[in-house]
Amino acid sequence: MTTTTRRTATATALAAALLAATGCAGADRPADSGPRTSAADLKLDATTPKAQGGLAKANWLLEDEPDSLDLDTQGSSAGRVVLTNVCERLYQLQPDMTTRPFLARKATTSADGRTLTLTIRDDVTFHDGTKLTADDVVWSLERHASKDMEQSDEFGNVTSMKKTGADEVTVRFEEPDAMFLKALAGDAGIVWNKAQVVKSGKEFGTPGRPDACSGPYELASWKSGDSIALRAYDDYWGTKPLTREVVFRWASDSALVNALRTGAADGAYAESPNTAAALRADQDLAQYYGPSTASLVLIPTDRGGLDDPRIRRALSLSLDRKGIAESGYGGLVQPWATPVGSGAWGYEKAEFAAAQKELDEDAPASPDADDLARAKDLVQEAGAPTAPVVIGTDASQGRTVVANATRAALQRIGVRAEIKTVPTAQFEEFYSDPTARADIDVLVGDWYISKADPMGFYDNGLSDSSNNWVGFKDAAYDRKVKQALATLDDGKRAALAVDVQRTFVESAVWIPVAQIPTILVLDRKLTGPTASQAYLYYPWAAQLGAKKG
Amino acid sequence: MTAALTLAPVTGRRRPLSVTLAAALLALVVLAAVLAPLLAPHAPDAIDLSASLVGTGADHLLGTDSSGQDLLSRVLYGARSSLVAPVALLAVAAVLGVTLGVLAAWRGGWVDTLVSRLTDVMYAFPGLLFTVLIIAVFGAGMTTSVLALGLAFTPTIAKYTRSLALAETRKPYVDAYRVQGMGGTRICALHLVPNLGRSILGYLVVLFGEALMSLATLSYLGFGAQPPSSDWGLMVQEGQAAVVQGALLPALVPGTAIALVVVSFNVVGVWAADRLGKQD
Repeated sequence: MTTTTRRTATATALAAALLAATGCAGADRPADSGPRTSAADLKLDATTPKAQGGLAKANWLLEDEPDSLDLDTQGSSAGRVVLTNVCERLYQLQPDMTTRPFLARKATTSADGRTLTLTIRDDVTFHDGTKLTADDVVWSLERHASKDMEQSDEFGNVTSMKKTGADEVTVRFEEPDAMFLKALAGDAGIVWNKAQVVKSGKEFGTPGRPDACSGPYELASWKSGDSIALRAYDDYWGTKPLTREVVFRWASDSALVNALRTGAADGAYAESPNTAAALRADQDLAQYYGPSTASLVLIPTDRGGLDDPRIRRALSLSLDRKGIAESGYGGLVQPWATPVGSGAWGYEKAEFAAAQKELDEDAPASPDADDLARAKDLVQEAGAPTAPVVIGTDASQGRTVVANATRAALQRIGVRAEIKTVPTAQFEEFYSDPTARADIDVLVGDWYISKADPMGFYDNGLSDSSNNWVGFKDAAYDRKVKQALATLDDGKRAALAVDVQRTFVESAVWIPVAQIPTILVLDRKLTGPTASQAYLYYPWAAQLGAKKG
Repeated sequence: MTAALTLAPVTGRRRPLSVTLAAALLALVVLAAVLAPLLAPHAPDAIDLSASLVGTGADHLLGTDSSGQDLLSRVLYGARSSLVAPVALLAVAAVLGVTLGVLAAWRGGWVDTLVSRLTDVMYAFPGLLFTVLIIAVFGAGMTTSVLALGLAFTPTIAKYTRSLALAETRKPYVDAYRVQGMGGTRICALHLVPNLGRSILGYLVVLFGEALMSLATLSYLGFGAQPPSSDWGLMVQEGQAAVVQGALLPALVPGTAIALVVVSFNVVGVWAADRLGKQD
């Protein structure tokens, strides 16, 4: 018996013993776990087929209970998924991620770009039956802009907001602001019913309080710890919703999977691609993948290991993005060369798509021999860091795979690396607390922006941005970002955005890994809601209905 | 802390089958740990993203985890840290616990009261919470976990040692050494502690399973071993997310290894403690 044979035989005996103990034999993945999707095959579509019939009640799952239904004070994704069906905005994000005037019937910008005049619809009523007025609009905008409110940064460039006619509101800016109309399609554009908000006082947005909005649904109840129920608002000014009642409950991971599998819930927007992967083979559930701005990224810090841009570029060149997408996320994310997903292309889509393709050479999906040779040359030129690069992550399956793949990529190009794992509850501190990330060189992160405009992201690379952890400084970059943010013409702004995007990626301020699509899991008998990230800002439940009439 | 498994006292000279089986399994695990570099078909931290979550097969006898790491290789290497770390932990706890226990029993009076109240206070504080607090101050990692859990295990050993030492100090040989003019420190170090040695050793064997479990729990919570370590607790943590996708082995293999070793140590430990106690 040769050494290799003996070794195999001994290993086989040990494995058999452990397998016998675990009661397993044969394939690990059960027959019903479904085929793994190839990341390259994932096609994104913003819409689902139109519903043909009404529905008395839909049960929907959120991954968490909202902290509050006052998005000014606590803007969580769970709160948005609910409230987007209840509260309307001056502009509306469409499923295809474009924006259009909504409660503002019309918007006019002055020639110098510093004055925006909004004409407010005069046929809208709040859920308490009172009419929505320009006074409510001004009051709401001022509330959004107040210090400590979630959306206050959207108003940094605003010098005044005034009612200038019975149904007219005028906003003046210090500089032209290309992001402002996009922000009005987000939480900064919600129009509150002033009387209701004032009446609820500090309790506004908590269980037991009525909503203060116009929209296809009104808040029927919020039983803390149990459910939130919406019912169709009969006097809605727009198209009446197909589903009469929507009841939200919350569950995550296996509880969410089981609730959908057993039919206890009709649908959910899956925040975790792995949850969706677990449901892929279920014959009673359909899955829809739509464009989103979300992305999986590596965010370097200025600790030392990755402060040289050449090392960061080398890491980007050697990272197996396709492997990460398929191993860590079941093929439900796509290798991506920019740090913001395609849902951000709310205009000039073709130009952004072409620019993204060009950047593949800096962030390849699967690095080939040439990429690795380039990466090694960069490391040799810069000199490998003396201390191991510390990769910060939590223990979730996807991030663990990204961290392992990052370590493997660094080792492949001659850079030592180690992983620091923290509990998931502690992970969020990496984003908010600089001292928490003092011991790491790079964070396995994810990020999304609320605006369908890449320029809503690239201000993260400004020299003075709190999200520029690595300390990237480039005066030309700063100048171009500011110029783009003040350019109202979409075509010209797209050209500038593509320019700053190239600098951002080439300097590897953040290292793109994959784009994370929106994933809608829905009972096969139902259809209608958007499959794009617009589900956070668009009344998706109003279009939910039966597939057959 | 989990309570150690208790078995009926063993009578007679014949070794029960359960003890033989448990001892054989432990011998196998120790052998696997020692020979891991020879037995493991792959490097324990080798990433193969194209072989993520594959089931059992010729290339991967126990399958792979989500990063495509070979589970058999990882569980074999993981036996090393899973066996060595509890030994280190118990060594720390034994040095501190035996010293405090003997000191309390020998000196009596206010020293005994102080040590007893101190151990009572530490008992009242959940061990895992105490450990997590220490880790929060000094940072995560296996060394911190071993030291922190060593401190958490100290009161248990101190109390046990104190009760044994109290009985021992009343034995005539202690008075005989005193009459000969031997100092307390020498009596304790050269005679009293060695005489308690076998009982304490038996107790440590019983505690081994609990120590292993506690360390695995810390690694599972992200406070102990860090990737790419193949510590079994960490492997369970890394594997649990795949369970919802129907891939059971990444969590089940290390989980089973932990369970088997803990139970085996308890079976052997209780039997050994009983035998050593009888001999004493």
